Amino acid sequence: MSGHNGHDPHEISTAALDIDDLTVAYNSKPAIWDIDLRVPEGVLMAIIGPNGAGKSTLIKAALKLIPRAAGTVQFCGQPYEQVRSLVGYVPQRGSVDWDFPTSVIDVVTMGLYAKLGWFRRPGRQERMLALHALEQVGMQDFAERQISQLSGGQQQRTFLARALVQDARIYLMDEPFAAVDAVTERAIITILHELRARGKTVVVVHHDLQTAKEYFDWVTLLNVEVVASGPLAETFTPKNLRQTYGGRVAYLYDDQSAPATGEE
Amino acid sequence: MFQLERLIVQFLLNFVAREDLNAFLRNPQYTATLVGSLIAVSGALLGTFLLLRGMSLTSDAISHTVLLGIVVAFMLMSSILGQKPDLSSVWLIIGAAAAGVATVILTELIYRSGLVKQDAALGLAFPLLFALAVIIVSRFVDDVHLDEDAVMVGEIGVAWANTNSHCLVQAERTADGAHRAKPEYSCDSVTITPNDPRAEFTRQCVNCRRLGISPRDKEAEFTEICANCGDYSPAQAWQAGFTQKEPLLVFWPKSITVMAVMTLLTTIVVVLFYKELKLSTFDPTLAAALGFHPTLLHYGLMVMVSLVAVGAFDAVGSILVVAFFIIPPAAAYLLTDRLPRMLVYSSLIGAAGAYLGYDLARGNLLGLAQISDILAGLNDLFGLDLIEKWDSSISASMVLMIFFFFLAAWIFSPKYGLVSTMIRRSNQRRSFDHQVVLGHIHRHQGRVAESDEVTASTLHRHFRWSPTKMQRVLRQLRARNLVQTEADLVSLTARGETHARMFRQTQLTTETGGE
Repeated sequence: MSGHNGHDPHEISTAALDIDDLTVAYNSKPAIWDIDLRVPEGVLMAIIGPNGAGKSTLIKAALKLIPRAAGTVQFCGQPYEQVRSLVGYVPQRGSVDWDFPTSVIDVVTMGLYAKLGWFRRPGRQERMLALHALEQVGMQDFAERQISQLSGGQQQRTFLARALVQDARIYLMDEPFAAVDAVTERAIITILHELRARGKTVVVVHHDLQTAKEYFDWVTLLNVEVVASGPLAETFTPKNLRQTYGGRVAYLYDDQSAPATGEE
Repeated sequence: MFQLERLIVQFLLNFVAREDLNAFLRNPQYTATLVGSLIAVSGALLGTFLLLRGMSLTSDAISHTVLLGIVVAFMLMSSILGQKPDLSSVWLIIGAAAAGVATVILTELIYRSGLVKQDAALGLAFPLLFALAVIIVSRFVDDVHLDEDAVMVGEIGVAWANTNSHCLVQAERTADGAHRAKPEYSCDSVTITPNDPRAEFTRQCVNCRRLGISPRDKEAEFTEICANCGDYSPAQAWQAGFTQKEPLLVFWPKSITVMAVMTLLTTIVVVLFYKELKLSTFDPTLAAALGFHPTLLHYGLMVMVSLVAVGAFDAVGSILVVAFFIIPPAAAYLLTDRLPRMLVYSSLIGAAGAYLGYDLARGNLLGLAQISDILAGLNDLFGLDLIEKWDSSISASMVLMIFFFFLAAWIFSPKYGLVSTMIRRSNQRRSFDHQVVLGHIHRHQGRVAESDEVTASTLHRHFRWSPTKMQRVLRQLRARNLVQTEADLVSLTARGETHARMFRQTQLTTETGGE
């Protein structure tokens, strides 16, 4: 940080995601409270916290999908409206109706709609890009499959492909590991590591304390407020975790081999 | 609207003679089918998106509440402009669209309070608005063709009779190639004023209504008014005998124009915003994140639904509107799993329902039989005393026919129908039984101590199956060359061996669910 107070665009853009004083309330009860968060470019970050800690709310508020009570959010130094194409979003799998009459490749192509803008239809080039994204997640053979015929893990990979096809700089993912089997989880984490290797920033809402250490290099502990945020080694400490989860997690983490939290 | 009709009429007259066009339009079935099909197409296009958004019943609500928009706009126009607008007036249509949007907003507001569930919120909003409309109609707008009966059922059967007349000047080609009006035809419109010699006068009681007395009462006061003053279109002028030359007329049903415009508008909107509607229907969150304003699209869709509902309302009443919105998409949903095909199928189902529904109302069942014959047959067979003549509501018959198509899709759809689901389930059950037996033999064969486990006659006990079922499964397995029996001992063939191993590898180790 140099002396002058953040007017230099180059300095601001060093943070992929910069959240300032963000508060969101549901019926005047704060869901997240006065969040200050800087996520440097090129990290693979987990947002970890108990149920009702506001993890999904944080992501949705950052993307202005729900109204903010206060605060600002900047992606690469810009408000979201101006850099939509830089941000890829993977909603929770359960947020859509998988009986919708459409095919896997069609869902993936939806990731390109922002680039196409209003009225323009996807064409051959968009199809190629979508197929390529499906290849990356190992789903190329399912391109023409009706989406209701997919397993949970395949649905999640379809959503991931839809975000990949955007070729964004920052990815926000809401529980991509929820209810997928071990094979799919490995496949997804491999893709996330590839993204990081290509210099992308990935923010993931995560539940499993056990795997967090292995998967991520950056972590934000959240329980309505930010408890701690930073490199995993410094942040993911028993003390911080205890503070995040309250007393409940004490026994979970003192014993290193203990299973993940009892939630979900 | 009138100008547009004129253009259409003139365009059509390039291809057909005036007499044929009039004959076509005067045929109730053709006009009803045409209007019905237009409603079917626009209803199906919008209804498909409503269905996929889980808001089919919103079309029901809107098709009722548009009445409020119509009567409010009607009253405003009567008081501000001092004229009684036609039902197809643009202002009434705008009022209806506003009422449709108001319904959705009111529902949202009630729902957002968090005290009422979504479906109940809709159920609260729309009877309120509809009731207001009915009260206003019956209380303040007494001399308008809007009664509760027309609101509920409408009458597509008389759509042909409610026409605009278009007068044509017959042209003849002169020697130099120019067109000139033939002198024996005219398109003169006539205005009769009280000064006109043709004006007829009559006495009217001025205080009868106010005092509630009859004109014969001695307190009645009278004034002289002109009975036939006003503007006469060429058709009316000819009919009233004000013009000597016959006008050449085309009688064009108003509903056709209204619905054609609505259908065209709907098609344009759906084609233009297809991608955006699809995205915001499937994943509104992503649509918002990508900057496609799903709320805007939502209200746009509601405006379109209101427009079609009000356009169709005059011709067919609200029940048929709802049927066209909901049933064809529901049937198409069972027939395909691609959105574009769903849009096409539901349009076709709606249009076919309109055509065959008209036949049904006139007693013709799918072109296969006459209902009167069937009734006569029943009378003969059972000695019943049914009335053999059949002539029922056209709107209701159209609904029946559309529902019939849904029923057919529900039962016979190749992918999701009842029959194919039942066949698929029974196949799955059988193939699962096969796998269970194969797996069991695979595990136990070749071990002397467990020979009881693979003895054909006792095998059923291990599964708690009936002996008959066991025999049947073994017979099927033998037929497929998967097992062989030697001296009552069952063993796998080489093929059965591979089969059992494959099953273990593919089904028991990879992820479960889906597929």
